[in-house]
Formats: sequence, C-alpha cells, structure tokens
Amino acid sequence: MKVVTGVVGNDIHVVANRLIDISLAERGFEVFNLGVNTYLEEFLDAVIETDADVLLISSLNGEAEGWCRDLQILKSQYNFRDNVIFMIGGNLVVGETTAEEIVPRFKSYGFDLVFHQVDLNEGLDQLELFLKASK
Amino acid sequence: MNRLLIDIGSTYFKIAEQGKIEQYFRNFDKSILNDLESKCADVISSYNKDDVYICSSANGGLSTLIIGLSNSFSLKYAVNIAFNSGINIIDTVLYNNISNETPPKDNIDVVIIVGGINSVDNIFDEKIFEYLNNVNYQNIVFVGTEKSHNYLQNNIKDIVLLENIISDKLQIREDELKSYLTDLYQADIMGKEDIKQLYALTNNQIFSTPYIVNRALPKIHEHIDVADPFIVVDIGGATTDIHYSRDLVNDNILSSSGYDRLVFKKLGVYKSRESLVHIAKQNEFVFELLEHLNVTENILEEKSDEATRVLMQLSIFLVLYKVSKHHASYIELNLEILNNIILTGGITQVLTQEDVDNITLFFYKKILHFHHTPKIILDKNYEIWTYR
Repeated sequence: MKVVTGVVGNDIHVVANRLIDISLAERGFEVFNLGVNTYLEEFLDAVIETDADVLLISSLNGEAEGWCRDLQILKSQYNFRDNVIFMIGGNLVVGETTAEEIVPRFKSYGFDLVFHQVDLNEGLDQLELFLKASK
Repeated sequence: MNRLLIDIGSTYFKIAEQGKIEQYFRNFDKSILNDLESKCADVISSYNKDDVYICSSANGGLSTLIIGLSNSFSLKYAVNIAFNSGINIIDTVLYNNISNETPPKDNIDVVIIVGGINSVDNIFDEKIFEYLNNVNYQNIVFVGTEKSHNYLQNNIKDIVLLENIISDKLQIREDELKSYLTDLYQADIMGKEDIKQLYALTNNQIFSTPYIVNRALPKIHEHIDVADPFIVVDIGGATTDIHYSRDLVNDNILSSSGYDRLVFKKLGVYKSRESLVHIAKQNEFVFELLEHLNVTENILEEKSDEATRVLMQLSIFLVLYKVSKHHASYIELNLEILNNIILTGGITQVLTQEDVDNITLFFYKKILHFHHTPKIILDKNYEIWTYR
C-alpha cells in the first residue's frame, strides 16, 4: 500500500518526519516522503502522481490549521479515486485546545483520520484498523 | 589550445578568441555565414574547423507544449528540463483540466506528455487524443509512467517513448529528455538553411545559446567576482533569459547543475519591442517608474536612443517583477537574499552602471521595500559567454 507523507507548511521537524517514514516502512507501506516544508498542493499532487492509498500529513509546530483548512476545496479540484484516506497527526494547534474540539474541526476540513498529541505507533495502529475496516 | 567561440544572436554576433571579444551588428540583408565572413574572414580562416565552437539563439529555438498530471511534479519537472535545454514553452496543460483547455494556435515543435511514477496505470484516456487532434505539432514525446507506453503508442502516431522523468521516489530524472530536446534542436538547425550553412566553419555541434550558458554558469566564479546566490539576466533583441542559482527557489527539484533558466520570449528591446511596450503598459508600477526616470509615457512610442535606453531600464524592472513574489508565474525567486545580478546581452552596450543601479534600487525600494540592492555587474565585454 502506498503512503505519501511529509511535514506541512513552515514546519521543519525533520526528525519526526524521518521517524514516521521508518515506522511506515516497517509496517510494510511503500512510502513517498516529501520531507519538511511541504505545501498542501504538493501533497495532493504527489498522491495523484503515485496513485497513493493514504496521505499522512504531520505537523508539530501547531500551525497545521492555517496550512490545511483548504483541503476540502482543493480535493474538489482533483480527480482522486474514491478510497484515498486523508490523515493528519502531530501537535496540530497551540494552546489549551483539546482533541475533542480539534478532531471534528479537522474532519470538517476534509480529513478522515485526525490525531492530536497521540503517540505515533498508536496513530499508525488506528490507520491500519481503518484500512482493514474500509476494505 | 586556442579556440574560436562564436555566438549568433538575433541582433548581434560575438566572436571570442583568447579572452578577447568582438561584437558585430548583424546585417539582415546577408545570410549569417556571409555576414560573418565579410566581417571577420581573417580571424575565422586562421582557425582549424575543429577549434571553432558556435552557439546560436538566432533561429528562434524550438517551441513546446507540455501536458502533465500535476503542477508540482509532472509539469514542474518537464518545464524545468525544457527551459534548461533551451526550449521555449508555449503553454502548459494540467491533464485534469484538458477538456476545458483551448489548444494553442501556434505551430508546436514538440509536445511533451508526462505523468505518474512507473507503477501507476490508467492515467490517460481518450481526452488526450481529442485535445491533440486540435494541436498542430511536429514531434511528440512521452516521459511518464511506463505502464502507459502501449496505450499511447497504439493511439498516437509517431510518439517517442523515453525514460520517465519522475523517479520512483518522485525526484527529477532529466538526462534522456534533455538529450532528446537537444538533438531536436540540432535537427531544427539542420532544417534552417541560415544556421546549417555555419557548419562550413566548424566540425563541432552547434548548440542553443541558453543551453551553453546554463552549462557554463558553475564556472562563473573563475572569471567574475560574484557570490552565490546570483542571477544572470540576458536582455537581448528578441528574448530575455534569466539564469538563476537554485538556492533562490523553494521547490522540490534537485537538478545536476545547480542553475536553472527561465525565458521571457516576448521581452526584448529590438525584435520584441512592441510586446515589451505592451507588457510595460499593463504593469501597475510603470507610470511611477517613468516619473522616476523623468520621462512621460510618450517615450514608449518613440524610436529614439533615449526611448531605447528607457525601454531597457523598463525591461530590467519587468524581469525582476515577473520573478518576484508579487507576480504569480512559473517561478518565484527569493530576491531578498540575492547577492549579485549580472546583466549581459545587448543591454550592456547601452546602459551605464548608474542607469542599472538606479532602476534596481527603484525595484527593491518599491516592490520589496528594501533600501539596499544586490551588487550589479554589467558584463559589457560578454565575458560570461567565453568560459570553457
């Protein structure tokens, strides 16, 4: 299964990006890592070019919302196949906001799976469960 | 070993030997060969044909239309390779929108189609054939996923299939397409009598001038005191070329030379004068700029030396504007971190250092809100054309 991943916007957390890359590969995914400082359009373009099954965006600096809130609009401009999974995880916002507030908000932006301050392996376990369920 | 280097431009030709450069205004009543021989027969005859190297931008170059699957990979990579091979891009089409795109009316020398890494299948369908039916082209090449080879070959007559320019890790692979485009340029030259005749003077391949400049840029430090990042702006009679350090661009391309090229096909001060004036009049800052230069807009309609000087200053401004963050186009250069601007081409024969400093300072103050500018180097002796 193919996964496009990378760190969105002006975020340069390269170590986290590398850990995600390694963890995905360990689980048998074919990984296309766009690295840090990646724009939303580049992620979507990479999904199209690779015919990926999953887009996994990460963000640690708390500015993901500003970079990702147009996902729904952008998705409508592309010709994705039906079952592509859009996932985001990391430290998605700054301040005291809880996951209960953040998850629905990001889902309304067009993400299927949203993980705020959740352990990487737990997030990837959830992804695998989601993939299994959507078969 | 002594070599004779000749560059044929749309307005001038230049001859370099042993670090000495001579330039001559072209006589358009004569063929290029006759013109060259009438002006510098002694120099040319003193060299063996193996030691004469010629590049040319005078035949107009090849034009291309690029159809790609995404902006960030297919189109960006193909545009980059085409520009660096000295090809002029007429248009780019995003495949997802192809049904709504109007095919260009120009005659296209080569159509480039690209999309998908090699494991991806079923990208293209009959929409591409319907679109291509309305395009007037001479050559067509596919540089996308291998899985589409059979489908496209069975449906598009004479399509050339080359290695995918997108690697399996989404990186650029430029060698095969670059060689193909360079060879096509060569074939184009052979079809143009004026340039073909120049093989009477040399046993070496005649390349396009932008391709040669792109290859020479990594050696620029050996000849001129410049610091990275820098740009070379060649404002000529018909076109304007920018060659820039890749450090100035935030994108995902890793190319081998470290320098890329961008061409503005209709920005020149002689052959493209009318389109330059048209572009200038569309720009919101131009009237302020004319006021800064103490002239009125009427100067744009004049044919005097003063008008040419103003147009050249305008063209510097417009080129910088077109690659700045204020203008959404193919490329955005981070001009804030630029250390040097090297100006070459016909413009250096007319403008003074004061003229170019003045216009650059206006751009940096007005557009970027900076109070200092990069150091401007006027390549009056065309030194950057003589590296080897």
